[in-house]
Amino acid sequence: MSTHLINRRACLRGLGASLGLPLLETMGWADAAKGKTSYKPPVRLAFMYMPHGVIMDQFWPKSPESFLKSPPPALESLRPILNQCLMVKGISGVPITPFGSAPHALELSTWLTASLPDAAKRNQIHIAISADQIMANYVGGLTALPSLELATMPQTHKENQEGLNEGYYSHCSFRSPTQAMPAEINPRTVLERLFGKTDQSGKTSATDPLDRQMLDLVIGGAKDLRRKLPHGDQQKLDEYLDSVRSVERRIAAIEYRQKEAALEKAGVSSSKRKASDSPPIEVKIPEGDKRSEYMQVMCDLTVLAFQTDTTRVSTYIGSTPNGVSYPELGFSDTHHGPTHHNNEPEKVRKVAAITKFNIDQFAYMVKKMASLREGDGTLLDNSIMMWGSGLEDGNKHTRENLPFIIAGKGGGTINTGRFIDTVKGNQGDLLTTLLACAGVPLDRPIGIATKEIKEMMKV
Amino acid sequence: MTARLAPLSATEVVSQTGPNSEHPNGHVAKPGAKASQSDDPQAAAQTTFQKCAVPFVKKYCVECHGNRKSKAQLNLEVAVRKPGDPAFARKWMEAIANVNAHDMPPDDADQPNDDERERFLDALAQVKYLASRDPGPFVIRRLTKVEYGNTLHDFLGVDAAIAKELPDEVPGEGYLNSLSSMQTEQYLGIANAALHQMPAEAQKRLFGGKTADVREIARKLTRIAYRRPPTEAELDVLVKVFDLGTTNKLDRNAALRLMLKAVLVSPQFLFITPSKDAPTGEKIVPLDDYQLASRLSYLLWATMPDAELSKLADEGKLHDPEILRAQTKRLLADTRSRALFDGFGAQWLGLDTLATKTFDAQKFPQMTPDLRSAMYEEARLLFDSIVRENRSVITFVSADYTYLNRTLATIYGLEKKVSGSDMQKVSLTNANRGGILAMPGVLATTSFATRTSAVKRGIWVLEQVLGQRVPPAPPNVPGLEKQDPKKVASMTLRQRTELHRTNAVCANCHKILDPIGFGLENFDAIGRWRDKDESGGPIDAVGELPGGKRFSSPKELKALIAARQSDLARNLTEKLLAYALCRQLDGYDHIIVDQMHQTIAKDGYKMQTLLSEIVMSYPFINRRVQE
Repeated sequence: MSTHLINRRACLRGLGASLGLPLLETMGWADAAKGKTSYKPPVRLAFMYMPHGVIMDQFWPKSPESFLKSPPPALESLRPILNQCLMVKGISGVPITPFGSAPHALELSTWLTASLPDAAKRNQIHIAISADQIMANYVGGLTALPSLELATMPQTHKENQEGLNEGYYSHCSFRSPTQAMPAEINPRTVLERLFGKTDQSGKTSATDPLDRQMLDLVIGGAKDLRRKLPHGDQQKLDEYLDSVRSVERRIAAIEYRQKEAALEKAGVSSSKRKASDSPPIEVKIPEGDKRSEYMQVMCDLTVLAFQTDTTRVSTYIGSTPNGVSYPELGFSDTHHGPTHHNNEPEKVRKVAAITKFNIDQFAYMVKKMASLREGDGTLLDNSIMMWGSGLEDGNKHTRENLPFIIAGKGGGTINTGRFIDTVKGNQGDLLTTLLACAGVPLDRPIGIATKEIKEMMKV
Repeated sequence: MTARLAPLSATEVVSQTGPNSEHPNGHVAKPGAKASQSDDPQAAAQTTFQKCAVPFVKKYCVECHGNRKSKAQLNLEVAVRKPGDPAFARKWMEAIANVNAHDMPPDDADQPNDDERERFLDALAQVKYLASRDPGPFVIRRLTKVEYGNTLHDFLGVDAAIAKELPDEVPGEGYLNSLSSMQTEQYLGIANAALHQMPAEAQKRLFGGKTADVREIARKLTRIAYRRPPTEAELDVLVKVFDLGTTNKLDRNAALRLMLKAVLVSPQFLFITPSKDAPTGEKIVPLDDYQLASRLSYLLWATMPDAELSKLADEGKLHDPEILRAQTKRLLADTRSRALFDGFGAQWLGLDTLATKTFDAQKFPQMTPDLRSAMYEEARLLFDSIVRENRSVITFVSADYTYLNRTLATIYGLEKKVSGSDMQKVSLTNANRGGILAMPGVLATTSFATRTSAVKRGIWVLEQVLGQRVPPAPPNVPGLEKQDPKKVASMTLRQRTELHRTNAVCANCHKILDPIGFGLENFDAIGRWRDKDESGGPIDAVGELPGGKRFSSPKELKALIAARQSDLARNLTEKLLAYALCRQLDGYDHIIVDQMHQTIAKDGYKMQTLLSEIVMSYPFINRRVQE
């Protein structure tokens, strides 16, 4: 990793005055390339979620030996790149006592935090910073967008089991213990905002050249207001001002990218790219409302964001634990209904099909990444892509062995092509391990973690 | 321990055993006013607490919930010393529910006799009188998407739909969402679009003539947009933005537009913020008139204060009770008060999910967007009629009229009577229909995608209509789907639900929930009348409410519920007050609700009285000064 890492907050706060500079030249892996003939692309980390667990005997490989040759049915679509995947059985979820009656409120919100909400403040968001946001804090200052949060469904579920805040049902990324990160569900917005693409009417979402300085004045002017507010309100205001600062940054980043593109057109090659690197992928927004196409465009956006180093952290809530149905598979009932299948074949079949459908979309994404050249390998080689669920068996709400799949070699840190069934660890251990592989130093373990899972790592 | 449904909710216990006298602290009295000594419920509550609650806690609770062991993070040894402390208010409410339901003390511990239990509950029900006067904080709050769109409309004359791409809020206590940076950028995008769409007339109104002083323009813009007079420092910033524009060779108009854009992305526009520092040394202060104007306007109109409200705030007159009452009436009479349904009513009735709820397309091909929107409109118009015509809130249950268009009339079997796509008022002669209990939109949202759910409807009636708290089902309980399909093939849903109830774990709750739902079984999953359910068996709508009141049809169930006027009105008061304050109700709020309830009851539960009591209430017009 680059030694010029800048703390995200310090970066955001200090930027106002220096925004006139083409700041990205001082950031990220661009500088590592200067004066050298080779450079090492950064490690990216992504998470993709499906609720309610899996049909276990269709998900878990029969044995470590059979993993590559005869993978379980749920993984069929990953077959071509299984040697770039890793599976581990023996990672338990967070025990949810004292919220025993709220398994679905907590499956998603414990997933990247490995923590439980504060029971005394359960009606508010009060949990822990999530793994993706820990990484965003560390490397987010190096890219236009600290992290990307995507979802398929609006995050507006209403049901407060055990008195838990409704946000717990539909959020997995937490910027701080009290701030849930909202996810974007409109692919067009992502495309326009991040990549400055034109909308249907041909209008670009171009920003006014003076916007950046205007925003800077607005932020400066809010100091007076801030002084008047009590502490809690100050935090809310800061949150808004922080995000305004990041808008400034992104405007700068887009301007920088446009300048680079102009230079490339004029024959000056970019400092960040190797000549053999694949060109940025084309993203097309689908017209209809087919779920698979919708999910694939969200996957494409993640790939494009990683490929262009727009961000290095992405979380995609492919589906949420509330009222989601799968008309494309011909099922009118909700995902949750058949997960309480009690081994009835018809319901088991449905859950298996829904699981496979979700894994298929993940496979679409990682296979595409495996086909894109980057540096001396592929984009997938430099990434850690995790698909998973917050329950193992939706029928009984168990979380003994959380189902997950990792694709990508994490820049040579992950030992892939294997199924490990001999480790015992928990969700916190897993997240701690992944961040270690992504090169993120931790000042404390994540949630309930007690160790790194060395068996997953390449030594 | 299994969760059990209390036959009476905590709030009901409270209302039945609370002292009958009016609390001496008039709720529009000045903050800090002292309670008079005569007829002091606080002293009575203190005595009862010492006599009945303290020994009970010592004898039955502290072994597990004390200093030594604090199961469920509950230490009652601390709580009994300061029973009125707001930190324990919720704990006491939970204790009432748990002890009342015989969930506590647990079965394997010593059990109090019925008398002890009753006296304990009686003492706890009065704990709220030990809470000190506290209006709660006035937390700065970002405008919701709807409020933001409306505010831009009123300010600049642009279409309120301009904000439609902002993310929906996660509802919760108040409004807690944070923004991703991408979403913040949307605000900038919307500001750009709004400037683009702004009609020339609006620009002229806001920018004035060619020679108008820039600082004065900024003062005028911010007085409207920030909903309060700006500080000089805030004007300095905006003048700098204007100068930034002119330095970069923008003409005067373009520079003014850049300045207006700065106003639109300022936190002072997106958040409702105070204009002045809180006076030092005060713990509780009245809201300033500007905050009050905003609070009132966003509650009833979901938009910024209009010229009249703003003028009253400038003159410092709005906090005058007569003027505030008159303004409430004026705002309610205006068509913009439909915002109260879109913001509150739809959420209360659960209809905000109707547009996106999944229905089995084979079974219910009728559930088109047209029908769904007619269902929503029906509820909105009923709500609107009760507000504008100042009807009793009991009308929500007992209404003998509704609003239909032809699409919706088919659900009622009234397609011969109603034509056209416009909603029109229709008198109902069939008493099984009318009111929120028998309304297709509600019946549909409380059903599954493929069938009705007596349980969901029962919970809805208890929680949303009667204001009771229904505990969630314990984990791992098998649902109806788990029943042996062969065995239940010819059973009606009622019979299957009752079979489920033979399980002792489930019976406790379901004996209360299900009968209410059974009373509505004549309505199918999209609200059509039926005499037989899917199994072909006849509908049996006989049931019993807690307390032994029997009914045998939706009509009779509705009549029984409508007769519980006090519960209905109290529930609506509580829900509306929480909505108005953007927070959950706590300790002292319950005393306020008691007081409001008496006034409302005296006035025949009229809706406008209820709303105006909320606006005049102590926590609405005051705030606690936070550290």
